[in-house]
Amino acid sequence: MDLELDDTQQAIYDACTRMFERGAGPGRARTLRKTDGFDRDLVQEMQQAGFLDLFADADTGPLAATLITGWASQAAVLAPIGDRALTAPSVIEGDIPLVVAVADASSANMVRYAAEADLLLFLDGKDAYAAKRGEFDVAPSKTKFGYPVGGVSNVKGAKLAAGAADIARNWRRISTAAEIAGAARAAIELTIKYLGDRVQFGRPIASFQAVQHRLVECYVWVESAQWQVREAAARGAPTELATSAAMTASETAHRVFYEAHQLTGAMGFTIEYDLHLWSMRLQTLRQEMGGARAHARDLVAARWGKK
Amino acid sequence: MHFDWAPDEAEFRRDLRAFLEAELPADFDGFAMEPEEQKQFSKDFAKKLAEKRWLTPAWPREYGGLAQGPWEQLILSEEMVEHGEPRTAQYMCVNWVGPALIIAGTEEQKAYHLNRISRGDVVWCQGFSEPGAGSDLASLRTRAVRDGDDYIINGEKIWTSYADTADYCFLLARTDTEGGKHGGISIFLVPTDAPGVTITEIPSIFSKGAFNQCVFKDLRAPAEWRLGPENGGWPIIRQLLVNERVGVARFRRANTFLAKIGEAAREAGLLDDPIVIDALAKGQAACDAARVLIYRVVDERAKGKAPDVTAYTYRVATIRSERAVYEAAMAVEGAGGVLKGSLGALQFGHALAAGVATGTLEMQLNLIARDVIGGKAQ
Repeated sequence: MDLELDDTQQAIYDACTRMFERGAGPGRARTLRKTDGFDRDLVQEMQQAGFLDLFADADTGPLAATLITGWASQAAVLAPIGDRALTAPSVIEGDIPLVVAVADASSANMVRYAAEADLLLFLDGKDAYAAKRGEFDVAPSKTKFGYPVGGVSNVKGAKLAAGAADIARNWRRISTAAEIAGAARAAIELTIKYLGDRVQFGRPIASFQAVQHRLVECYVWVESAQWQVREAAARGAPTELATSAAMTASETAHRVFYEAHQLTGAMGFTIEYDLHLWSMRLQTLRQEMGGARAHARDLVAARWGKK
Repeated sequence: MHFDWAPDEAEFRRDLRAFLEAELPADFDGFAMEPEEQKQFSKDFAKKLAEKRWLTPAWPREYGGLAQGPWEQLILSEEMVEHGEPRTAQYMCVNWVGPALIIAGTEEQKAYHLNRISRGDVVWCQGFSEPGAGSDLASLRTRAVRDGDDYIINGEKIWTSYADTADYCFLLARTDTEGGKHGGISIFLVPTDAPGVTITEIPSIFSKGAFNQCVFKDLRAPAEWRLGPENGGWPIIRQLLVNERVGVARFRRANTFLAKIGEAAREAGLLDDPIVIDALAKGQAACDAARVLIYRVVDERAKGKAPDVTAYTYRVATIRSERAVYEAAMAVEGAGGVLKGSLGALQFGHALAAGVATGTLEMQLNLIARDVIGGKAQ
């Protein structure tokens, strides 16, 4: 085991960081949100750099795809990186269109990037379908929670091989958990900085132990989610590990959302301040794939179900 | 970054498992044994381990070890704990007392003590906490006053696990009251049957013998009992505290216990109950979090770093795992969980002790804050 980035991973990290510094971050996310847009240009750039095809590459594999999914989320990238880099290649061989959305039939009314998708992966119980644009209907919805979303219906498209739904569901859990870990880390880092700068009663708020312990509890949640999801990806997303990582990530999203906002006070409610660019997304992410209810049910069934 | 076990690590785990499964009775649980029974068992079992050098595999070969690295130490700890910790109190000698002797002992001390430990002949306890020195360990007041070639030791230690059955105490005492609270501490290796040592059980809500009080009244300690330099005990302790924090793979015991709780839920027909599902899943997720976070600590140790924030983070996660597993037990057992011998009754002590033993949860949070929040935390 070696938990530091290897040379290839480090090179990918460095290149991603440069790309995100130039073309992502809170300013870019805010501009895109104003028009209910999303970052097709950045997805294009990432694809050209090869960053969306790491999953099936023997030299990089699913772990590297999971890493970039987390880093993109941390950089407030507004585009479905994980769906394209992780979920789609887990069940589709060969060429995959640029923009992929994933829908679970149990929550087909809230599908991130549904209207923007070139390809929709639709998971309906034990069945999975790959529907190209035009092979499903989309009704865009309004939401405050960070992403463009829509409802999908009348999904046609090609039915994937038996077992694909469970495989895609586990990789989607990995992808979403990686996004949560990335966004939650950014929210906590921003909050730590804020509390270090903000002076009340003559001292930085971060100097109060009551505040520190809450921040650190969040930090431990983020570390837990991040390392669980990386391990689960490296081991091929078996149900027990994928659901477990998703459980931790879901709890992380919940706690970091409240604590980051509570500790930031009223400033965190404003559009002017960056926190919402990560925090609001956490609420959407924690409901993906049926949320903690579905993760817990599937975890317990995999671990203790009928023998 | 990769999560693969090296072939020799996987082989070590396989060999250990085969050995433990052959040598131990089914469902062995050292944690649930009475103290005297525990001591006798661990002494007998340690001899079998010692024959393979598996009692002290992390020690250098010259002292009876195999010079194994941090990953093998984790595997050893995980497998022992998974199989009910047949070493019981021995883990302390192995993880902590032995390495301290190797770092700071005289040739005579090493010759006398290390063999006894690596053969499994002795049990040690650690005389650290005092009525006025818990989390703030360095404010300890037990005094050792030089008197010719000896020291005269007076003071009181509390919460001392295994003192009732231990042969030796790894005792911290103050030899100087001047040079700052960290500066005047020395370590003494004290036989628990020495005149002037009185050990009394502190009745507790846990199992019998969990806690003891050790009173030292005019104990005459020859200078040869002192480990390391006079007033130089604290740096040795600091160096070894990390061993203590990651010493017992608590999450692994909790996870093995959670497996039993899940089986009980299935037998009771509760696996479709939403509260039970939630509690079991949270328990599993918490155990997995602690497991991957100890990998971070071990990875740093394997690279020759001295883990700090990763070790404290792991401790917080492992405390969460013990608590979440207790919640799972109670969700499954309900009122039955308060009865002697129930899963809940067996787990509750671990859930409570995890956040207090070897440095409280709040201490871990403070230490992480110092690193993660930085200067503004002061």
